[in-house]
Amino acid sequence: MENSIVKLRGYKDGLHLIITPKVDLVEVETAINKLLEGMNQPLSGTSIHIDLTTSPLTSDDMKELETYLTENYDLVVSGVNILDENDESPILAAPATHSIAPNLQADDQPDFGQAKIVRQTIRSGQTTSCLTGSVLIYGDVNPGGEVVASGDIIVLGALRGNAHAGAHGKLSSVIIAMELVPLQLQIGTYVNRPPLGQKSRGYPEIARVGAEDVIIVEEFIKFN
Amino acid sequence: MGKVIVITSGKGGVGKTTSTANLGTALAMISKKVVIIDADVGLRNLDVVMGLESRVVYTSMDVIEKRCELEKALVKDRRVEDLFLLAASQRNRKDDIKPEQMLDICERLKEIYDFVLVDSPAGIEQGFHNAAAGAEEAIIITTPDVSAIRDADRIIGLLQNQDIEPINLILNRLSPTLVKKGNMISKNDVLDILNIDLLGIVPEDPGVIASTNRGVPLVHNDGSPGADAYMRIARRMIGQRVPIPEMRDDNFFSNILKWFSRNK
Repeated sequence: MENSIVKLRGYKDGLHLIITPKVDLVEVETAINKLLEGMNQPLSGTSIHIDLTTSPLTSDDMKELETYLTENYDLVVSGVNILDENDESPILAAPATHSIAPNLQADDQPDFGQAKIVRQTIRSGQTTSCLTGSVLIYGDVNPGGEVVASGDIIVLGALRGNAHAGAHGKLSSVIIAMELVPLQLQIGTYVNRPPLGQKSRGYPEIARVGAEDVIIVEEFIKFN
Repeated sequence: MGKVIVITSGKGGVGKTTSTANLGTALAMISKKVVIIDADVGLRNLDVVMGLESRVVYTSMDVIEKRCELEKALVKDRRVEDLFLLAASQRNRKDDIKPEQMLDICERLKEIYDFVLVDSPAGIEQGFHNAAAGAEEAIIITTPDVSAIRDADRIIGLLQNQDIEPINLILNRLSPTLVKKGNMISKNDVLDILNIDLLGIVPEDPGVIASTNRGVPLVHNDGSPGADAYMRIARRMIGQRVPIPEMRDDNFFSNILKWFSRNK
């Protein structure tokens, strides 16, 4: 069966790993995993070249991919090519701070649907993360605590620490808390923090990426 | 079979040693058999605060290295019956002791004593892990300031990971005047964040410094606000229902409360 996300081709200068469609890092990694696990002989120690066609991976993603390949398959990445096949390629390997929203088509991405449910308060110094979907917390997130999710973050308590939703770039991710008084919020690559001395407003609130590419916070009435 | 309780805070200088000395003394005054252990190896303090410095011959390190029997290393208090101190060695370092060794000492002591109180060093490193190793319960000391509360929260997380339960809170050095003016984090704000049961509130009391320097725990100084608070906490620790008085800057009202709690 042809693997549509990643392909492995032998060229004169060695093996090339070709990453094609517009997907995020986790999918690429899953596809690589599938491809390499299915092979008869391990590629351990082989040097490999990465060809990006239209894949919108950021430079941070590229770094992560490189370490993924080195750590899991003992591959040496010898170089990265950006193929410009159809001359209308989107922004490739954009820096993380750059808005990559238009090219990401984030909402088309699957959420992987594996939510993590945490039945305790996340205290200072503790981290909970779910890189396959959303996180639901029955408790508080205290200052110094951190929640990371590739999907949404829902806190059935007070969110007083840090929260990073859409950690793989899904910009339609939201953060909902019964009391939203965080130190810092992050959705995809956007970061925002409340004004100093912000007090709880006493009703549930939702944070999302608004039209002006900033994280906006409003009263949570219903999900739409 | 007694209870082993670690007294800890994360942040330094919030009153762990003072609280251990006073709660140990208060529990012994209400006829419990108590050992207090100084787990702050390398920087012993508890013996000084208890006024027992000159009587320390052996330390917990001597017990661990089998230079003396555990019973012989316990220093008897000068004033109260059934109160003993296991001092920390000043020559050693915190990582010279292993958690299993601490656990062994605590297990042996709780066979004989009703309460084994372990005074933890500040921080979240080896010293803290040693102190918590033998404990089944914990008392968190915090003062009403943000950094102390943040560290207390961190420590609670670590204790919960070790399945230490219950974890109770003592709010130390609360100043009624400052709370009234709105310049201090209130009891409710602290409880809201830490979300554990409140064992008691100890008001700011200038008598603490004097009693520390004299080596006489505050609870001997009957009638001072700090002493009353520690006595009430000790009663709660043995299961008596003693209300936590609301902090007020009103002498008439607080005197009535004091009168009530003394006649219990």
